[in-house]
Amino acid sequence: MVSEQASPRSRHFASAGIWVLAALIVGYALVFGGYIATIVAFALIYGVFVSGLNIFMGLTAQVSFGQSAFAAIGGYTSAVLTTTYEWAPLPGMLAGIVFALLFALVIGFPTLRLKGHYLAMATLAIGLITYEIAVEWESVTQGYMGISGIPPLGIGPFEAISDRQILATLSVIVVIVAFAVTRIRKSRLGRAFAAVAGSEEAAGALGINVARYKLTSFLLAAGLASIAGSLFVHVVGYVSPEVFGMHMVVLAFTMVYIGGLGTVAGPVIGALIVSLLPELFRGMRDSQDLAYGITLILILIYAPKGLAGLAQSFDARRGK
Amino acid sequence: MTPTGTLQVADPVLDVRGLSARYGHVEALKSADISAGKGELVAVLGPNGAGKSTLLRAIMGLIPNEGEVRFLGNSLPRRDPVGAATKGVVLVPEGRGIFGPMTVLENLELGAYKIGGDRQEMERRLTHVFELFPRVKERLKQVAGSMSGGEQQMVAVGRAMMADPKVLLLDEPSLGLAPRVTGEILETLGTLSASGLPVVLVEQKAPLALKLACRAYLLSLGRIVATINPREVKSHDELAQYYFA
Amino acid sequence: MFHMRNQFFAGMVSVLAMAGAAQAEDIYKIGISAGLTGYAATVDRAWSDGVQTAVDVLNAKGGIMGRKLEVVVEDNRSNPQEAVTVYRKMVSSDGVNIFSSGCVSAGNAAAAPMVAKSEIPMILCSILPKQERDVVWAFTTLPPAGFEIEKRFEYLRDKTQIRKVGVLHDPTPYALLQKDVAEKVAEKFGIEVVAVEAYKQDDADLSVQLSKMQAAGAGAVMKIGLGGTTLTAAKNLKQLGSDMLLLTSLEDLAVFKPVAEVLGDKFFFVASPSQVFEAYPDGPLKQAIGQFLQPWREKFGDRDPNWASRGWDSIMLTAAAIEKGQSFEGPAVRENLEKITGFQGTTGTYDFAPDKHQGISTNPFVVAQIIDGQVRIAQ
Repeated sequence: MVSEQASPRSRHFASAGIWVLAALIVGYALVFGGYIATIVAFALIYGVFVSGLNIFMGLTAQVSFGQSAFAAIGGYTSAVLTTTYEWAPLPGMLAGIVFALLFALVIGFPTLRLKGHYLAMATLAIGLITYEIAVEWESVTQGYMGISGIPPLGIGPFEAISDRQILATLSVIVVIVAFAVTRIRKSRLGRAFAAVAGSEEAAGALGINVARYKLTSFLLAAGLASIAGSLFVHVVGYVSPEVFGMHMVVLAFTMVYIGGLGTVAGPVIGALIVSLLPELFRGMRDSQDLAYGITLILILIYAPKGLAGLAQSFDARRGK
Repeated sequence: MTPTGTLQVADPVLDVRGLSARYGHVEALKSADISAGKGELVAVLGPNGAGKSTLLRAIMGLIPNEGEVRFLGNSLPRRDPVGAATKGVVLVPEGRGIFGPMTVLENLELGAYKIGGDRQEMERRLTHVFELFPRVKERLKQVAGSMSGGEQQMVAVGRAMMADPKVLLLDEPSLGLAPRVTGEILETLGTLSASGLPVVLVEQKAPLALKLACRAYLLSLGRIVATINPREVKSHDELAQYYFA
Repeated sequence: MFHMRNQFFAGMVSVLAMAGAAQAEDIYKIGISAGLTGYAATVDRAWSDGVQTAVDVLNAKGGIMGRKLEVVVEDNRSNPQEAVTVYRKMVSSDGVNIFSSGCVSAGNAAAAPMVAKSEIPMILCSILPKQERDVVWAFTTLPPAGFEIEKRFEYLRDKTQIRKVGVLHDPTPYALLQKDVAEKVAEKFGIEVVAVEAYKQDDADLSVQLSKMQAAGAGAVMKIGLGGTTLTAAKNLKQLGSDMLLLTSLEDLAVFKPVAEVLGDKFFFVASPSQVFEAYPDGPLKQAIGQFLQPWREKFGDRDPNWASRGWDSIMLTAAAIEKGQSFEGPAVRENLEKITGFQGTTGTYDFAPDKHQGISTNPFVVAQIIDGQVRIAQ
């Protein structure tokens, strides 16, 4: 049982360690650069995406296999507006968020009435349909050819071009997102999410508008997914439908479970670890996937609540 | 002991008339009439599967249902649990519906979700709950899921009280609890109703409920088959007749 | 947790060590970003093996200008994001000198700006990236999209009475390019495209598209795109009792054998010279293919040589460019690739120029059939 006597500092020792680990990884990439910088940059973008997924899945206990749809909307809106219409990246990204939210609103109303497997299937369909649209709507998305020549991230005269600039920009964004999630979790909104997560019926019986909070949670997740999609296209400078395929969904699920569902640090550390693991095993060639898979399974066996969850239970035990 | 429908209060707070509910093709509740007035604790008794939980869920509007639920003289919309809760019809669901990962305090505060950031009102309601359940006050920082069943039930009732109910519905609060704890909780419910709050208590353990109730409805196969005045029940055998009729 | 962390840092250290390892100056590194898994697997594995075969042959002769070659191949999982990562890895950790990358167009396009910035030339299996500044460093062994189309039109014009065709294509970039060409050049051959229908690579039935073409009066179906759908189309044609000929694009021969069993002499396909080597007329092209096919067959038997032969070409072009400029430096190799003309490869003759990074300029293809299990040039 948790004791109230332990001082806050010692109580959060291991949880803070998770953040330190994340900072060390990013710091390593910042200092040494190289292709690890590319991997960490992608990981940070996924950190934003998975943080959104975590609001919907972790804080509100809903399932969505279709978050890639919102990343695609953000990514393509940014790509099209900054290339064809020569917008600056930031307004492009904001437009992407607006589109993603509108789309989430329209599909959220009917689908969020569904529960469990049905919600999972409906959202999966949304992801697949969006992918198909990205392939087929050639006049705008250029299909499988993809859109290239997307400008780098930037505001006014400042542009993030070098690895360090990109990493620094993304790190700031991830910290802001993590801070926002912390605030949401502790807010009235977050408590309503937690109530919906705990028991929709009990929440409803207490006068908490379950449908409205599910939708709010869905919108927050969609917004963050859209930002991640925009960040991706600006960092890579290119977008094609494959970026937002099932691959993205599977990876994001792995990250959120390895990192720790429902925690703030989980999505970030999960994204970093899951992105870096394959690189540790790259030297093993054909056994790379096997080693990666086994490691993931081991983590989930010994840390079923993810790395951040493991740290929390360490803290809980220390505080005893 | 009177067979159906003679024990009616003049001006009930909650007045349920001809309430029916079905799960798919199964009619789980058939035209039920119950009422609860100021200061009354009414019990709904019946065997497993009689439709007791369905009755409470239908009153709240958590499931599709037909019929009329009058509350403080007005008709409640039939599919609006949030509206019902906001007006003061508060349910402590079966299995308590405690938010396990949250602390006791967080659970309680969620009960008063509607008042928002009004700390003063929050404190007032918390104080009231602490009076009812002193044990809860000692455990505020504890994660609710790690508490014993009895303590969780106290938190569940406490959380419902945080919503400042005008009528309190309870679905088998004694389920899985030791007799001593059950007694403690039911005693508190007695205190609450004595202070004026109408309480509708669904129970399988009839003798316990009958000790407190001013009126009991006997539910069988979705139908109210008898309204009982507990003071007229002379023996358990008499009650058993209805159960197995 | 601590165990986990130690392991992690041990890993990080080894990554660091790999990155920092001084690369032996006398080895010329060739990087391949290939879809060893995912949709491009068949083609890209063949391409990689072709590259490796060429490297082995050159190394046996002492390498290029005395420098040995080494291949670094990384799996991009047929995914652009992975491609960017593995390209980046090969640039910064392996220090590759040139890329000889596979057929995942999106992956090559996504990584192209970074590769260009690193001043590393890339010779591709896929189409070229679209941005002009990226194309500066990219070359391709891919024949122009028109070649496969024109050969089929030519065959229909010269050998049949058919003047109306339907075009059936998938949504991949190369297929779309070919479809556009087909619509544009048909007239030149006196042929009319009466229907254009799209399908997806995983479609299990194409009879709707085929019926439409038949209804529009098409005498032949020009199918553009790879994979199992060719067999699907053949079966659907048979079910419909259609007399339309099926002319498909270049593909692994293994895919065609069952198709030929279904449609017999109504089935035609575009073949590269290496696929019909035995039947191909003598000449410099046949000689070039022979040089490749010998080591290839020693190692891989009768595995389809088409994509592998282009992988082989990419290395031979690299060697030619290095020898031409007597330099291994990226910018020099790039410049000298642009100066290569009249180079006899296994897929045709390569003529590069500063404004022409798609080198094959003479159409090497033939229209072929499989009759009695034997690949023949169609008569």
